[in-house]
Amino acid sequence: MSAPRASGPAEKTGNVVRDSAMGLIPETVSEILKLNGHVWRDSLVPPSILETIRLRNARTVNCVFCKSVRYDVAIEDGLTEERVSLINDSYRESALPPREKAAITLADCYLGFPAGADQKAAADIASQYSEDEIASMLVAVMTYNFTSRMAVSLGGMPEDGTLPIMQMSVSASST
Amino acid sequence: MIAINSINLDSALTRAGPAAESFARIWKTIWSQRYIKPEELELCRLTFARLHADEDEIAAPNANVPVLSATRRQAVLAGKALESAEFTAGEKAILLLAEYYWLDPQSITDEAADDVKKHYGEPGLVLLIESLGIIDGRIRTARVLRDLKTAKS
Repeated sequence: MSAPRASGPAEKTGNVVRDSAMGLIPETVSEILKLNGHVWRDSLVPPSILETIRLRNARTVNCVFCKSVRYDVAIEDGLTEERVSLINDSYRESALPPREKAAITLADCYLGFPAGADQKAAADIASQYSEDEIASMLVAVMTYNFTSRMAVSLGGMPEDGTLPIMQMSVSASST
Repeated sequence: MIAINSINLDSALTRAGPAAESFARIWKTIWSQRYIKPEELELCRLTFARLHADEDEIAAPNANVPVLSATRRQAVLAGKALESAEFTAGEKAILLLAEYYWLDPQSITDEAADDVKKHYGEPGLVLLIESLGIIDGRIRTARVLRDLKTAKS
């Protein structure tokens, strides 16, 4: 494990996010927790689609924590480890449903260097999602991306492959 | 007509509902907090605009900060800020970390993070890293939305 580059506030609250380094910025930590809640609870696409996007981001950023987490609402929505295993470089040829493939395509457009959508990607995304749904997914991927990059940037990340799969409740990560 | 960019992005995302409103509140907060000056974050936004080679983002006026001097703005856009006498040691520490961050957060060195902490403290490092993710995320989202709009038309 790398050494953490910042420690949490001296006064602990019992909330894992508020007690982390993010708690050093009271001006933003509460809104970030609320944002995570809104992303999951008020999304215009189902939780299993959101989890597909989140895990695609986690894999790209290589956030060990993020890769090991599965959100409860996504599991309740039908996400399985078999489906998670298909979120890889060969996803286009996989058995994933077209809507999940298009969600991964959108995530890759966002995560790319350079970011952006070519004609084929744009057509694939538009064939499966409305403009409202695309906006909802883009807010989600922005949220997953900046929080996972934050976790990596602040250090303290375990070695890859050392964490078990852990279930996370939306309520625990949004209050 | 001004293209979608990180500054005016919220109007394109309102259709996403409460999550977009929450993200917009965080965006507003990073320009009015006490840890890193808004002008320093603007230097980071322009650095990311340069790294993305995003002309629409470079052209976007940012009403959240005072106008930068032309010399400083040009130095950032030319990738010369780290060698320029126009920037303080603290600003250079921020800009170096921003470049590492943009390339890959895993590439950030302990020395680069320590240098930011030396000038801005741990809260400054945390706020900077939060802000870099939010700024880069909004640039990325604006680019995707512009391309989707172009493809549709």
